Amino acid sequence: MTLKSKVMLRAWTVLSKKSVVATSIATVALINISSAYASLPGIENFNTTALLQQQNVTITGTVTDETNQPMAGVSVTVRGTSNGVVTDGNGKYSLTVPNNATLTFALIGYQPQDLPASNGAVINVKLVPVQTNLDEVVVVGYGTQKRETLTGSISRVKGEDLTKNQAVNVTTSLAGRLPGLVVNQRNGVPGSEDLNIVIRGSSTFGNNNPLIVVDGVPRGTGILSTLNPQDIESITVLKDGSAAIYGARAANGVLLVTTKPGARGKTSYNFSYVYGITNPTKIPDMMDAALFSEVVNETYSYLGRAPYKSAAEIQKYRDGSDPILYPNTDWADVSLNRNTPQKRLNFQASGGSDKVRYLLSFGSASQGSNFKNQPYKYNQYNSRVRIDADLSQYLTVGANIAGVFTQRSAANGTDFSTTLQANPTLPAIYPNGLLAGGRFDNSPLLSDRRGYQQWKDDPITTTFTASFKVPHVNGLVLDASYNYDLRNQFQKNFSQPHYWHVYNPNTKNYDRIASTSPIQLTDRYDRWITTLTNVRLSYRTTIGKDHNIAAMVGAEQQRNSNTYASATRRNFLTGALPQISLGGTRPEDYGNAGNASAGAYNSYLGRFNYNYQSKYLLEFAFRSDGSTIFPTYNRYGFFPSASAGWVISEEDFMKPVQFVNTLKLRASYGELGNDQVGQFQFLQTFDFGNNYVFGGSTVPGIFSTVLSNPNIGWEVSKKLDFGLSATLFNRKLDVDITVFNQRRSNILRQRNLSVSAVNGFPKLPEENIGKVNTSGFEVDLTHRNKVGQVSYSVTANVAYAKSKIIFMDEVPPAFAYQANTGMPLGSGLYYKSDGIFNTQAELDSYPHVAAAKLGDVKVLDLNNDGKITGDDRYITNQSPTPLYVFGLNTSLQYKGFDLTLFFQGQADAFVNDAIVDEFGLEDLDNAPVYRATNRWTVNNKEGATMPRANNLLPGGATDFFLYDATFVRLRNAELGYTFSGDLMRKISVKGLRVFVNGTNLLTWAKQIKYRDPELANQSYLNYPPLKIVSFGVNLQF
Amino acid sequence: MKAIKLILPVVFVVMFSMSCKKNILDISPQDKLAEDAVWSDPKLIEAYHNELYGSQVHGFNVSMAYSKYTDENFNSLACCGGDLFKLNTYTPDNVGQLGATIGDFWATSNGYLYNWNFAYQYMRKINVFLEKMSTTTVNLPNKARMIAEAKFLRAFLYFNLIERYGGVPIVDKVYQMDSQGTFKRNTFEECVTFIAKDVMEALPDLPAKYASNDANYGRATGDACKALLSRTYLYAASPLFSPTKDVQKWQKAADAAEALLNSGYALYPDYQKLFETKQGDAQNEIIYSRGFSATNGHNAPMDHLDRRYGANGGWWGSSGPTANLVDSYDMANGIQPYLPDGTINPLSGYDPQNPWANRDPRLEATVIHDGTVFNTAAAVAGAPPAYEKWVSEDGTTFGFDSYKKTGDNPRTNTVMKKFMPSTGAINSATPQTNQWPFFRLAEIYLNYAEAKFELGDEATAREYVNKVRSRPGVNLPGIPVTVTGEALRQRIYNERRVELVFEGHRFFDVRRWGIATTTENAKIYGFDVIKNVTTGVKTYSKIVLLDKTGTFQAYKSLLPIERNELRRNPQITQTKDWPQ
Repeated sequence: MTLKSKVMLRAWTVLSKKSVVATSIATVALINISSAYASLPGIENFNTTALLQQQNVTITGTVTDETNQPMAGVSVTVRGTSNGVVTDGNGKYSLTVPNNATLTFALIGYQPQDLPASNGAVINVKLVPVQTNLDEVVVVGYGTQKRETLTGSISRVKGEDLTKNQAVNVTTSLAGRLPGLVVNQRNGVPGSEDLNIVIRGSSTFGNNNPLIVVDGVPRGTGILSTLNPQDIESITVLKDGSAAIYGARAANGVLLVTTKPGARGKTSYNFSYVYGITNPTKIPDMMDAALFSEVVNETYSYLGRAPYKSAAEIQKYRDGSDPILYPNTDWADVSLNRNTPQKRLNFQASGGSDKVRYLLSFGSASQGSNFKNQPYKYNQYNSRVRIDADLSQYLTVGANIAGVFTQRSAANGTDFSTTLQANPTLPAIYPNGLLAGGRFDNSPLLSDRRGYQQWKDDPITTTFTASFKVPHVNGLVLDASYNYDLRNQFQKNFSQPHYWHVYNPNTKNYDRIASTSPIQLTDRYDRWITTLTNVRLSYRTTIGKDHNIAAMVGAEQQRNSNTYASATRRNFLTGALPQISLGGTRPEDYGNAGNASAGAYNSYLGRFNYNYQSKYLLEFAFRSDGSTIFPTYNRYGFFPSASAGWVISEEDFMKPVQFVNTLKLRASYGELGNDQVGQFQFLQTFDFGNNYVFGGSTVPGIFSTVLSNPNIGWEVSKKLDFGLSATLFNRKLDVDITVFNQRRSNILRQRNLSVSAVNGFPKLPEENIGKVNTSGFEVDLTHRNKVGQVSYSVTANVAYAKSKIIFMDEVPPAFAYQANTGMPLGSGLYYKSDGIFNTQAELDSYPHVAAAKLGDVKVLDLNNDGKITGDDRYITNQSPTPLYVFGLNTSLQYKGFDLTLFFQGQADAFVNDAIVDEFGLEDLDNAPVYRATNRWTVNNKEGATMPRANNLLPGGATDFFLYDATFVRLRNAELGYTFSGDLMRKISVKGLRVFVNGTNLLTWAKQIKYRDPELANQSYLNYPPLKIVSFGVNLQF
Repeated sequence: MKAIKLILPVVFVVMFSMSCKKNILDISPQDKLAEDAVWSDPKLIEAYHNELYGSQVHGFNVSMAYSKYTDENFNSLACCGGDLFKLNTYTPDNVGQLGATIGDFWATSNGYLYNWNFAYQYMRKINVFLEKMSTTTVNLPNKARMIAEAKFLRAFLYFNLIERYGGVPIVDKVYQMDSQGTFKRNTFEECVTFIAKDVMEALPDLPAKYASNDANYGRATGDACKALLSRTYLYAASPLFSPTKDVQKWQKAADAAEALLNSGYALYPDYQKLFETKQGDAQNEIIYSRGFSATNGHNAPMDHLDRRYGANGGWWGSSGPTANLVDSYDMANGIQPYLPDGTINPLSGYDPQNPWANRDPRLEATVIHDGTVFNTAAAVAGAPPAYEKWVSEDGTTFGFDSYKKTGDNPRTNTVMKKFMPSTGAINSATPQTNQWPFFRLAEIYLNYAEAKFELGDEATAREYVNKVRSRPGVNLPGIPVTVTGEALRQRIYNERRVELVFEGHRFFDVRRWGIATTTENAKIYGFDVIKNVTTGVKTYSKIVLLDKTGTFQAYKSLLPIERNELRRNPQITQTKDWPQ
C-alpha cells in the first residue's frame, strides 16, 4: 500500500465514521476495506493554511465531484445553525463563520461531509456519492468485485438491513430483501423455525436448497440462522452461471454470507438492546363445544349412528350452566401465553492500528414461550473474535472465530396441533383450579408435568487466513485459508408419569389420575466436523493503459464427518434424577443407537477477468469438483462459466445523454452441478436391522434399502442470463433488470413411476433422468431523493420464476390432462370440483363415487365415462412455489427521525389445504370455524359453500381446497430517533438512537385468511410465525 | 528479522499444502456394508437369511387391522388408511395408501393388507438369496436347511398374495434395473402349483418340528410346510376360487389337512392362556409362529386395551369386539343363542339382559365386558377391580370404563381380551413377547372338517369340529347329529369364526365362502349398558354403530391392483370384475 493511499485511507476512515454518526447506522463503515480490490474514494486535499482568527473567519472553496467536476447547488452550512450558502455554477462558495464552527457540505445523492472551519480559509471538498448499487464492492465467490465491472446476476443485502428484523432467526429477515430469493417460514417454533429458501423458484425434483457459504465455507442454514445479525457485513446471492465457481453444489444458487472485519482506528463500541413482545401472527378460530357437538352429530347421522350429544347437552355447552360436566373449552385461549417477551443484547468493539485490526462481538438472544408453562424456549449466545494482522508489508494473517451456544427446549407432545385439535367439550381447568387431562390426557397445560426435550447445540466455526503479496511481482497474491468447524449437540428427552384430575359424577369427587407411562430418558450426543483447506493464487495487472487483467486459480479440499451415539433407559425408580445411569436394570430397560458418516470434496477452481477501459468486460470461471457421492470413474465434474458486460455509458456517444449516469448490459452463461443426493448410491449396500426372533431370542438381520446405481452422476444446470443495470437522473434512480433461462438436466430422480413393483426392487436409487426448464425475470428499482428536510429512498424488487417439467419418469398417463410433463414443479393431481351435491336429483344425475352423499363435493367426470375414478383427476398448473415474490422497502429521514417500512409478499402460489378439508371426522378432532361456516347440512342445502361434515373424498384431493396463497405482509416497520448535538459530544457519545420496531405487524392474504398464509402447503396446525413489537436502543461511543 | 519475514510465508504455504490430502475422496461407507462383504461372510449370509423372515407379517404390527376390517371388531374412531376397509370404500385409486404412506410409494413399513409392493420386495430378496446360494463357495453348515426355509417363506408370501388378489405374477428370478421384467398374472391355479412346488422342495431339508423350547423354534419346519399347504388347498377349493365346486380340490384340501392330524400336536388345555404363550413356553398346539423377545417385542396391548391401562388411546385403543361377534358364541349348553332368522332361540336359555351368562367359555376368554376382572395390577390408579362400562339413565354419571368418560374407550362397551396379558405390566415401555400363531392345530382340524363336509363326509366333519369344541377348559357339547347340510356348514363356519377370532382369518374367510356380501353389508352393533343408579339394575341393549348396507359388492372379495401399478405394467390386468 502506498503512502498516499494510506493517507487517503485514514481520511476516509475519519469521514466514514462521521457519516456513521450522521446516519446512526453502525454498519456504514468501510465495506471490505481490507479487500485488495476495493477502490478508495476520498477527498482531494486539505488546505491546511492556519488562520487562527479568534472571531469570525471567511471560508471559501470549491466543491467537486469524484471526477473533479465542479458541483453546483451543494449546501454549505454551519452545523447546528441555519447559516449557510449554496455553491454556484462553478462549485464555488464563500461563507463567514465562527472560527470553531463545523461546516457541513451536503447534496442529495452524496455523502454529507463535516469539516472544521479551523482547517483553513480555503476548504476544497470532493463529495463522494452515497453508495449506490453500482459503486458497491460485492463479495463474489473467492473474492470481491466492484459492481460496476460485474458481469453476473448477483444481488446483495447489507447487514444493517437485516438488523431491522427482530426475529431471533436471522434467516427470516432475508425474505423480500434479495430479488429472486424466496424465503418461506413454515413454522415459528422458537429455535427450530423451518425455513425454506430457494433461489429463482424450484428447478429440480430434488433438493432445491441453495449452497450457503459463510465466510468462504459451506456452512448451511444451521449456521446462517444462528448468526448474530450485527456481525453480518453483507449477504450476496449468486443466481446465474457465475456461481460456477462453486461447481457441483451451485446449481440452486449460492448465498455468500460475509461477517464484519475490524475497522482501523480508535476503538469504537457499539451497544444495543432490544426488548420485544411476541404473539403468533394468526391463530385459527376453532369451533366451540356446541358447534363442535352439532358437527359430530351430523357426522354420526351420516354414518347411521346415534347422536354424539343430545340437544339438551348441546344447550348446556352453549349456556355454560354446568362448567364441570359440560365445559366449553377454548384450548388455544387457555394454553397460549399472550405477549411473550423476547430480548436481544449486542455488544461490539472494533478498532485497530495500521497493522492489526480487530472486532470483538458478543450477542445474546432469548425467546420465551408462547405456550403457558414455557415448554418452548430458546436462548442463544453469540461470540466472535476477528483479528487481521499485517505481519509484514507482504504478509497478512487473520483469524475469525465464532462460537454460538444455544439452548432450546420443547414440550413432550405439546404443540399447535394438540392444542387446536383438542376436543372443546373436554374440560381444561375445573372451576376449582384442578387441571383435567384433555384430549388423550395430553392437555398442553400438563406440559410441565410430562417431562421435556432439550437441545444444547454449540457450533464453533473457525477460519484462519493468510494472504501473501509476492515481493517484486506487483499484483501477485497468494491466499490460503484453513477452516475447522466443530458442532456438538447434546439432546435430552425425558418423560415421566404425570397426573391430572377427573371429576367423578358418581362420587362428586375429583379423582387424581396418574398416567402409567414409565419414566424414560434418552441422551443423545452428536458431533459434526467440517474441515476446509483452500489455496489461491491471484494476479492483477494493467497492460498498457486500458487492458485490465485479473486471474485466479485455486484448490480446495473439504471433509465432513458426523457421528452420534444415543442411550435410552426406562423405568427409573424416580424422576428426581434424570441421569442415564439411574434407569431400570432389566434388559428391555436399555436401548442404544449410533451411527457415523463421512464425505469429502476435492476441487480446483479458477477465474479470469479482462476489461478494456472498464468498458468492455469479460469473465471466465470454472471449477472441477470431485465428490465422494459419485463413483470413482465418474467422480469429477467440470463446471465452466463465461460472462460479458458492456458499460454503454462509458461510450462517447452516450456522454450527451445527461440523465444516464451509468448504463451496463451484461450476459452470462454457466454450467453448474447439484449433488444433493444420498451418498454411496453407486454401491449396493446393506444396513443392519429388521432383526427377527427364533426361540424367544433376537437374531440379527441385514437388508438393503436402496438399489444401487453404478452410473450415478451430477445434476447439470445450464443458466443463461441477460441483464441491464442503470443509474439515472443524477443517481436518483437505480434500475437493474435481469431475464434468465435455466435448463436443468440429469436431474437425480427415482425412476419409481415407470418401474413395476413386481420387479421387487427395494427403494430405487436416484438416476440422472429428469429435465426441468425454468425462466423468469427480476427487476430491482431504487429511488432516493430529498424533499425539503425529508430524505427518503424506495427500493422495490419483484422476481418471477416459472418452472416447466420437460421430462420426468411418470406413469404413462391415461389422459393428457394427467401428464406432469409440461407443468410446473410441485403441481398436484386433483379432482375438479364443481360445487356441492345439493339435491338427490342432482346426486342421481351426476356421476359420483359409490359412497358419495348429499353435501359432498361434486367432481367432474373429465373423461366422460359416466364414472368417477382416478382417471378423472387432472394435473393443475398451479404450483405451491410462488411465481412472483416481491419486496418494497421505504425509508424516510427527517431531522433526527428515521422511518423504515418494509413490505414483502408473494403471488401466484397455490396450496392444497388438506387439513382444513378434514372436518367432523370420527376421530373427534376440532376444526376451524372457517370450515364449519355455511357448511352443507340437511337444513342448509342450497346456500352451502362448504361440504358436509365427514365429507367424502372421491379417492384423492379435490381442488375445492386448493387456495391461492398470495399475500403481502408488512414484514418490518421501524421508527427511530437519533440524538445529536453538543450534549452527545460532551459525553463522548458518537451516536445514540432509540427505536420502536414491528415485525410481521400486518398481513393481507388473498384467500387464506383463517391462518397465517405463509404456512403455505403446511397446515394451520403449525406453530405460526411471530408478530413482534420491539423497543430498542443503540449506543455508539 | 528480515529472514523471519521471508520464511514465515513459506511456512504458511507448506503448512497449508501439507493439510491437503491426495486421497481425500477415498472414503468407504461408515454405517453400511458393501455387497461383496455380505456374500463372502457366513455370519452375514445368516443375517441376510434371518431378515427374510421379516416377510412374515403378523397381526400385532398393524394392531390387528384385519379384525377392524371385519365384523369382529369395531373401531369407534377413524383408523388406519382412512378406513377404506372398514367402510368398504377401497378402489384402485386409494388402495395403495394401505401399502405405503401416501406419497411414499416404496415404503415397506406397512404392507399389511395391500401388500403388493411389500410382498414382491421380499420375493426379490428371497430370489437373490436362492441365486447366491446356487453359486456360493462359502462353507455354510446349514445351507440346505436355509434354502428350504427360504422356499417356504416364498410359498407363504405367494399365499398371502393369492388370498388377496387371486392369480398374481410368479417371479422366481432376480431382476435388475437394466433387465426389468414385464409381468402378467399367472392363473390362480398356477400360483397354487408354484406354492406346492416350493413347499415340496423345502420339505425334505427341514425337520418336521422343533421342540417349543428349542433355539430354532420359529423357523420353518416340515409341519409348517404341510400346514401352509392345507390352508392353500382349502382356499383353492373354496367357492370364491373354485366356482365350479371341483370335488377334487376339496379332496386335496382334506388330504393336506389329514397329513397333520397325527403329527404329535394337541389342543392346549387353556384357550385364553394359549395366546399368552411365548416362544420357549411348553405347548403343543402351535405349529408355526412368529416370536418376540424383550428387545424385539410388540406392543399390542397398548394398541388394544383401553384407558384403564393408560393405553395409547385414540385411534387404536377405541377398537372393541362387536355385539355381532358376541352373539355368534354358543351357550355353554352348545345351543346357539340366536335362530337363523335373528330371533332369540328360546331353547338356548340366552338372557339378553345378561349376555355374558352361561356362554361358550371362549367368549369370556376373548372379550372384556362390564363386570370383567382383568389384570388389575396393571390398571391405572383409581380403577375399580371390575370393569364398569355402564352409563346412568340420564347420562350424567357413568362407570370408570365407560365410553362417556373418554372416546378412547370402545363404544362397543367391550374390549379385546384374547392376546392381551392377564398378568404383568402394561405400558409402552414393556415389550410384550407372546407369539403370533400363523398355524395351529385347531385350524387344521377346522380345515379338515370343512373339506370333509364339502366332500359329503358330515360325520368326520362333525367329529373334527367337535374336537375343537371339546378342548379341555372349553368342553362345549358337540354339534348334534341332527344338524346336517347347510345348517352344519353354517356351524362349521361359525366355529371357525369363534375359534380363530382376531387371528386374521375372518377377513379372508367371509370372502372365500362368498358370504361377505351378507356380512359386509350388515349393521355393526355394540352394547349399551344403562344403569338405574337408584336400583343398581343394568339394562343391556344393542346399538347400531355402523350401517354398512350397500357398501360391499361381490367383486370387492379380491383386492384391486393399484391403478398406478397397472399403468406401469399394462400387461397386468385388473382384478376380476373390478370396474375397468
